Amino acid sequence: MSELDDFKATYFDECTELLTELEEQFAAIEAGERDADRLNAVFRAIHSIKGGAGAFGFTGLVGFAHAYETLLDHVRDGRVEMSDDVVALSIRANDIVADHVNAARSGEALPADYGAHEKSRFDALCRGEAVDADADGEPVEEFDIEFTPVRVDIGAVPADDAFEAPPFSAPAGHWEIRFAPHQALYARANDPLLLLRELAALGEVSVRAVVRDIPVLADFEPFGVYCTWEISLVAPGITQGQIREVFEFVEGDCDISIVELGADASAAQPAPAAEALPEPLPAEPDFLSLAEDEIGAIGVSALAGSAGEAGPEGDAFADSPVPSFAELAEAIKPAVAAEAAPAPQPMAPAAAPASAPPDDGERRGGGVQSIRVDLDKVDRVVNMVGELVITQSMLTQQMDETLRARYTELVRGLEVLAQTTRGLQDSVMAIRAQPVKSVFSRMPRLVRELAVKTGKKIRLETIGENTEIDKTVIEQLSDPLTHMIRNSADHGIETPERRLAAGKSETGTIRLSAEQAGGNILIVIEDDGAGINREKVLQLARNKALVAADVQPTDEQIDQLIFAPGFSTAEAVSDISGRGVGMDVVLSNIKKIGGSVHVRSWPGRGTRMTLRLPLTLAVLDVMLVRVSESPYVVPLSSIVETIQCSRAPFERVPSGGKVLQVRGEYVPVIDLAQRFGMPTQADPESRMVVLCEAEGGSKVALIVDDIIGQQQVVIKSLEENFEQVEGIAGGTILGDGNVALIVDVQGLKSTIHHKNAA
Amino acid sequence: MTGLRVLTVDDSRTILAMLHHTLSNAGFEVLQAEDGKQGLEVLESQDVDVVITDINMPVMDGIEFIRNVRASGQHQSLPILILTTETSQDKRDQGKAAGGTGWIVKPFDPEKLISVIHRVVH
Amino acid sequence: MEVLGIRDDVIDKAAVAAHNSLQLIAFSIGEQTYGVEITTVREIRAWNGATPLPNTREYVRGVINLRGTIVPIFDLRARFGDGQTSPTKNHVVVVMSVGDKWVGILVDAVSDILTVSRDDIHAVPEGNSIDTELLNGIVTHEGRMVGLIDLHSIVAGSKLDG
Repeated sequence: MSELDDFKATYFDECTELLTELEEQFAAIEAGERDADRLNAVFRAIHSIKGGAGAFGFTGLVGFAHAYETLLDHVRDGRVEMSDDVVALSIRANDIVADHVNAARSGEALPADYGAHEKSRFDALCRGEAVDADADGEPVEEFDIEFTPVRVDIGAVPADDAFEAPPFSAPAGHWEIRFAPHQALYARANDPLLLLRELAALGEVSVRAVVRDIPVLADFEPFGVYCTWEISLVAPGITQGQIREVFEFVEGDCDISIVELGADASAAQPAPAAEALPEPLPAEPDFLSLAEDEIGAIGVSALAGSAGEAGPEGDAFADSPVPSFAELAEAIKPAVAAEAAPAPQPMAPAAAPASAPPDDGERRGGGVQSIRVDLDKVDRVVNMVGELVITQSMLTQQMDETLRARYTELVRGLEVLAQTTRGLQDSVMAIRAQPVKSVFSRMPRLVRELAVKTGKKIRLETIGENTEIDKTVIEQLSDPLTHMIRNSADHGIETPERRLAAGKSETGTIRLSAEQAGGNILIVIEDDGAGINREKVLQLARNKALVAADVQPTDEQIDQLIFAPGFSTAEAVSDISGRGVGMDVVLSNIKKIGGSVHVRSWPGRGTRMTLRLPLTLAVLDVMLVRVSESPYVVPLSSIVETIQCSRAPFERVPSGGKVLQVRGEYVPVIDLAQRFGMPTQADPESRMVVLCEAEGGSKVALIVDDIIGQQQVVIKSLEENFEQVEGIAGGTILGDGNVALIVDVQGLKSTIHHKNAA
Repeated sequence: MTGLRVLTVDDSRTILAMLHHTLSNAGFEVLQAEDGKQGLEVLESQDVDVVITDINMPVMDGIEFIRNVRASGQHQSLPILILTTETSQDKRDQGKAAGGTGWIVKPFDPEKLISVIHRVVH
Repeated sequence: MEVLGIRDDVIDKAAVAAHNSLQLIAFSIGEQTYGVEITTVREIRAWNGATPLPNTREYVRGVINLRGTIVPIFDLRARFGDGQTSPTKNHVVVVMSVGDKWVGILVDAVSDILTVSRDDIHAVPEGNSIDTELLNGIVTHEGRMVGLIDLHSIVAGSKLDG
């Protein structure tokens, strides 16, 4: 990847953050918080996006952002009122900026007039015209070309180009420049020496310091400005503009005249014409009363000419080297004189500032509160920590009772290792944790668009957006959330008329919340819509042979059917939820990151979809079990208890299936050997029941051949090289190098027995 | 010219990264801060030869940053260049009024950037 | 002339070969010889068992751990409909990349590296539907017929209900 690509990647990352910030700010602004801080934050975000876009030549983005920024600037200083219309227009503008950014990222071209309509409204607002935000007028063409982004080089020609000499008028290129700095020039840390040096880069110069105004020492003000300069510059082909450019930063902080001498020099001032650079004056070490050589080599000989004996008139132009005034000021301020060391030659490479203290290590590192680390590097650490955790738990397992009794020190060491490993793991995970805000903040725009497309009124509430999850989980979250919110808007929320008829408020609400629950993050998408039409869902599922005709699923199972592969409740594929992918994609994406989805619906009142996600991707506490001859693991977080089959209170149900009676509750039983199609020779009495709790608190009893133990494992994807497998949530690698499969408790529970794998 | 220390202050990582690249290639040592407040903290603990700062930043903007630097007493002769996308005069005037030494217009050309720095620092 | 002990004519042959020829890893299943393009092969390793995957077809032998990633193993004999292989330590897994995925195929033995001309590749004769489905073509090398495996179709449709 080239450096430019690196910068671009940084830029797009940054844009994502800035766009997120914009969403947040506008959520508050929309809610009525229109204080200066928010407006400033919005302005800065757009400004930053524009700045980077300029660097990469994304002219469309620059143009739009510039117009938007101008409006924001007007709003900021009160020239334009932050009315609701302006807020609405701004939100639309954010979306357009986002589209521009996305287009730039993907290399697509947006239509040339993209956003032109909005741009014209910015311009109108800035001119003080009232604009109806809902007006859907045609883009006003005249504004399309109003702003043409111009790449402006540093040190562009100053505003008063009028002074620029005609191109052919300076064949001789002989200029006479008078330069008299004001105090402000020094106060802003400009340095005449550097300006003179830059002039010297244009051609041949000779410099005369005019020091006649320097007072006697008694009257000397440390920050007084006494020295001016006259410069002869011989530089054929140089324009006045180029000379002015040198003084660009000090315009207004100095008196300057730039005169081109005629070729015959008749109009010349009596100043000496170009001469060779004068020799520096000899040093005058005893001129000022000397103190210790604390300050170092400071040239003060410029002062020499005027300090006492006023020389002849001509001598006022002391042909002396020019010390930096900054240096002079520094030298004089502490009232310590300097030994006049060999004076710096004005046009020679300048000596380093004499007052610079030596380098010491302590000065480094201040003010740095964070570092940016490549995510790959963090991932490598995460993976290694994962392996470490496994090795550690493998070592612990190797310790049998005999060893324990014999090697107490070793046991203690292993305990410390276990603790340290846990701590290390938590710390590493904390590095990767990020607030879900970055995903949540994309949803308001989605909901706005959905509301427009469906003609419904929808309000989005977000709760707990500062909840932190692993960055990788967050990245995987965006698509499923988008799908689920689409689904809620499309199928859940009713039209305003229907809602009114049902006695509900016209506006439907989708609530998006995140919270941490133990080792999991729960993300809940709730709507107050019509709920799942179970009759229709079941009918469709039967039509698609997803449910056998003789099976009567429970309400909960019917709800869960919306996640079944190939299922979609939309009668006609709608523009919103349709597109050939449905909620089954949500489920598979969530499973991919070790999570589960549960849906619950209340007819006429709404639907709640719950995503349960692991806090981290890397490590999972599991129970290792054996089914047939293969190792499987069950996430510890879903296990309620284990019971030996011989003591388990099984009961037969009329259909011939088994259920387990647990504290008055009948729990469905799944024999994993049977379900996975792996015949077992295990003694039925010695087999074990693993009672698990699935999403929504419902239980399921898994029968396994044996329980081997508990340990931590690193989750590995099956889909990376294969595909999703029913009943399996992923894989992991055991201490002996073999692969164990992770049992998908939720998946087993909610699958209807329409096909018997056994 | 090598060994000079530049403090770059900008809330945009992109700009910081590009400045870092250009400046470190040119032999400068580059320090970074993401807003004016961080910039001041850096200046408290480290010696810097020149500062390049953005204007629009959160927490403490560039104008206030420059004012603070100049008011501190120790940095009267520290050159401060203002980074600006504005081609208009008023941003520069504001920056100058606060004590800015010069300015750099974004997007910057690496050669120009270096030559502008040389205009304000030894 | 010899450079580094390699004769010119060998180099020439290699150069020509690079243009219009194909290097294959050849392996056997029973009496049959099959081949895959050498550039797709990532690793060849001895059979050391695999963790069975439930609810998959019989030719999916399970998954193995290949340096920290989980790779599925396909039993090529079973894929051709001749029943599951009863693997021993002498059986071999050829790990290959198919698209962006890595998969292993279980074969009896790896026999040779063959260089064949692209011009000598023939279409699979109609008749056996499994062959036409799973082979890209057929090439004859030193009197042996070598079936060119179509990796994508080997991998496709491995789920029971797929």
